[in-house]
Amino acid sequence: MYALRDLLGEMSLCRSAESIRKGKPVPTVTIDGCKVRVKKDATILDAAKKAGIWIPTLCYHPAVSSEASCRLCMVELDRGEWRQLVTACNYPVRRDIVVYVSSERAQQARRGVMELLLARAPESEELKALAERMGVKETRYPNVTESQRNCILCGLCVQVCEEIIGKAAIGFAGRGAERVVAAPFRQPSEDCIGCGACAAICPVGTIKVRFHKEEQEVEISPFKSRAKLLVCQECGALITSTLVNEQALTKANLNSEEFRARLRLCPKCRRLQTVAQLGAVTFRKK
Amino acid sequence: MLRICKVIQNMAQDNNILEQIVDRYDGEVGMLIPMMQDIQAEYGYLPLDQLHALAKRLELPLSRLYAVATFYSSFRLAPKGAHDVTLCVGTVCYLKGSGAISEAICREFRVEPGGTTPDRLFTFQAVNCVGACAVAPVMIVDGKYYGGVTTASALEVISGLAKDKAAVQKEGEI
Amino acid sequence: MTVLSNKRLNSISDLDDMRKELLSLRSPSAKSVHVCTGPGCAAKGSPKLYELFCEAAQQADADVEIIPKAVGCHGLCEYGPIVLIQPGDIFYQRVEEPDVAEIFRETVVGGRLVERLLYENPVTGQKAETVDKIPFYKVQKRIALAYNGLVDPTKITDYIALGGYSALAKVLSSMTDEDVISEVETAGLRGRGGGGFPTARKWRSCKEAEGSPRYVICNGDEGDPGAFMDRAIMEGNPHSVIEGMLIGAYAIGSSDGYIYVRNEYPLSVERLKLAIEQAKELGLLGENILGSSFSFDIRINRGAGAFVCGESTALMASLQGRTGEPRAKYIHTVESGLWEKPTNLNNVETWANVPAIINGGGKSFASIGTEKSKGTKVFSLVGKVVNSGLVEVPMGMTLRQIIDEVGGGIRDGKRFKAVQTGGPSGGCIPEEHLDARVDFDELTKLGSMMGSGGMIVMDEDTCMVNVAKYFTNFLQKESCGKCTPCREGLSQMLYILDRITDGEGQAGDLERLEELAELLEGTALCALGKTAANPTMSTIRYFRDEYEAHIKEKRCPAKECRGLFRYEIDSEACKACGICLKNCPVGAITGEKKVAHVIDQEKCTLCGICWEKCPFAAVLKV
Repeated sequence: MYALRDLLGEMSLCRSAESIRKGKPVPTVTIDGCKVRVKKDATILDAAKKAGIWIPTLCYHPAVSSEASCRLCMVELDRGEWRQLVTACNYPVRRDIVVYVSSERAQQARRGVMELLLARAPESEELKALAERMGVKETRYPNVTESQRNCILCGLCVQVCEEIIGKAAIGFAGRGAERVVAAPFRQPSEDCIGCGACAAICPVGTIKVRFHKEEQEVEISPFKSRAKLLVCQECGALITSTLVNEQALTKANLNSEEFRARLRLCPKCRRLQTVAQLGAVTFRKK
Repeated sequence: MLRICKVIQNMAQDNNILEQIVDRYDGEVGMLIPMMQDIQAEYGYLPLDQLHALAKRLELPLSRLYAVATFYSSFRLAPKGAHDVTLCVGTVCYLKGSGAISEAICREFRVEPGGTTPDRLFTFQAVNCVGACAVAPVMIVDGKYYGGVTTASALEVISGLAKDKAAVQKEGEI
Repeated sequence: MTVLSNKRLNSISDLDDMRKELLSLRSPSAKSVHVCTGPGCAAKGSPKLYELFCEAAQQADADVEIIPKAVGCHGLCEYGPIVLIQPGDIFYQRVEEPDVAEIFRETVVGGRLVERLLYENPVTGQKAETVDKIPFYKVQKRIALAYNGLVDPTKITDYIALGGYSALAKVLSSMTDEDVISEVETAGLRGRGGGGFPTARKWRSCKEAEGSPRYVICNGDEGDPGAFMDRAIMEGNPHSVIEGMLIGAYAIGSSDGYIYVRNEYPLSVERLKLAIEQAKELGLLGENILGSSFSFDIRINRGAGAFVCGESTALMASLQGRTGEPRAKYIHTVESGLWEKPTNLNNVETWANVPAIINGGGKSFASIGTEKSKGTKVFSLVGKVVNSGLVEVPMGMTLRQIIDEVGGGIRDGKRFKAVQTGGPSGGCIPEEHLDARVDFDELTKLGSMMGSGGMIVMDEDTCMVNVAKYFTNFLQKESCGKCTPCREGLSQMLYILDRITDGEGQAGDLERLEELAELLEGTALCALGKTAANPTMSTIRYFRDEYEAHIKEKRCPAKECRGLFRYEIDSEACKACGICLKNCPVGAITGEKKVAHVIDQEKCTLCGICWEKCPFAAVLKV
């Protein structure tokens, strides 16, 4: 029964605050029989990577913090008399532990979670490919929850926008099965800079970046947020969102007019300009 | 001209109210939910412009306030009805038939739990346990408790609200 | 020093002096009338009774002192409104407004009993004059609820007069933080909110964690439907919680406390606010409490309507102005909790037990209960029992004892079917296990749990499949939606249960439910998800035949699931009064005077209004 087991788990963790605090500086993780040493507070996933053992993940990305919400990376943790299922991407290793990735129970847990995801998002090619790799060919569950274009609510887009870009233009809304990722009040966001980081990090192809040539705007679909695109001074090609440039300039603290001038050119024209400038310089031979 | 003045006056008032609310909690971000509860107590719901203003004042992204406003059941993003009808669908009340009563109310008055009737007569909430299980099923109308309700008696009480409204309107006409 | 000036208490002897003075102000011949204004009685209009008693007391002769009090929940809510007269412990039940004058005249002034208002044992017919003669109260042992019914929760002086805050005084004057933790450890106190974690161990871990400040939180987000124990404590004696938190904070080394009260309990918030104000005025909260170097303050935050905020990490997220989403507990909240600082969270009832443990000693507390579950537990015994209300009994009492001896058995002459314990995280226990002892571990072995103490008694007319559906629906709506298994898994389970109760069950449904249950238990992120399948699994375990009747025969044996049973009029019993005909919303009933009425099954929408309205019980569920 969960309650009793988890209580035991909690009690063993609280056994001595002292030992938890100090822990071992370089604990050993025995993962599917393979021993690797990791830095204290590294995760089981880090240990698995070091050991060359693949654990499927969806909501994990090294650039943002691990919320472990998708529950795909379940592995078994040896607790002596019993084994506890834990998520590999955020379980902190503080002393020597033994982990089973390929055990029957761990595999069944991961497959079960994937089946639920496939039921929710039946049309994502990326999800299907991941499922194949895990050995899950199909799902036995019907589609009972609605997803916007296969969104699995992993939250990576929300996290990247808040933690990395610093704009938090999108967030979660609603609760439970009604939960969605949306811009506030389902209106195009005023904070979105049109960088497309959300689209880049989305693991299931829900978010797309669309260029609108006539309006010279970039749109992040499905949030409907738009940003004006910079147009190349030389050739008129659409480059990137003006807001992205502003953000980059502010963050990188580069405000010289020379740098700003370069940003007004598309990559191709910039290269041409560079070559032209280099041509005016003599290279000293050694 | 007068209208513009009134609008500006209202905006200034709203600003004042918001400042008072934020000051009440020393502008602490952790007290966001109590602040939003106070705004809702003031306006009857969470107006969009107030949320914008609060986000700016606390230097929080608007997406955070929207997430909080849509996560917790008690927050309303639209104005509420003239009356408050709350039906308990906690275990005991449910076992004594409040599920069927809820369905009947929704059907009869064309409202969903959490929503307001088309004529704004009342806002209907189906909540989980008001702690008066001994007199289940329980319905609360404008703060008044009705214990041991049945489908028929619940519909009767609510219809009474409409009649009251009609009576008041009629009196007004005279 | 006069107590009436409510001057700040600057030392422990100030507190003792105040207590002595309060007691001396009470004349020995004074009488008090305690009117219960707890949630159950208040719903039946008891606040008005209190007002009437106050009026009567004012108009009475000046020679006898009569003190009306509005007190907290006594527990026997079924028989509310309840009025107690002291001295004498005289217990009046089902008191109505016209009774007030008689009670005042006869009992309060005249010292005579009003027989018809006394509790009458439904089996023996015997009348009980005093509280201790009532079976419901005889077996109870009240520690957490000790002061409910004795104190007016809006007057801190009542609590102090009866010994309140003496535990705090004892701690500040003669105990170290380790002494306090030792005492709680000896007592064997375990969390009363459902988790049952050893309280002393939690306090010690928090005390030893690195980081500052440390926070102390009271979880008043009692969300289990059918449970109102914490509400009764917060509204009936908020000071017990405050005193408990003070003692805990002292032991842990915290000066910042929070009480998180669910939004649906506005009166609890009011009472706690008032209690905190009054405690602050006297210097029992704030800086340099009772002249010591210990400072502690408490803030109250209200929930905003989310059951999941009863989970500790979700509660803390809410206190940080975020959505109530739980997080992984691989790093415990005692190490990194609110604002990532060491945080100790305990339930209302847990805190309420602390002063008693300090006053009476840990050994005394540990002498009650079973080997691993010490002390008492407050249960909300509701549903189809004769005496529904709040009861506090020693751990280890059997379900049968609680339901029969305290609860008075099943009402309306029906048969017992199951008792649902532990709220949505718990399960249903059938008749064959009624002799199980109620404590933290026994019920868990049977597929349920004691949880926070909700006990919902169900009779033969309850469809167990519908019960599973009810709880699954509740959890699916309250799920925060962050993790896949809970959000998707519960939706899948609900989909299956909906089909079964709609008469569209398929072969393999039960196996599918069992698979989903295992997945939820193993992979969900928090306790809500991990225990969410308990109601379904326990009902399948003990009532599989009911599920199979629904699936294979499209029949609901308990006649609850709409469409899986019919309404028919018993022609023998029908008196042709025509009430059903008049009330049928679709005109499905035909009949004339003196001719038994008939329901046209084709037209019938199974709304049940005819069944409700028939004065002769001639409409049958078939």
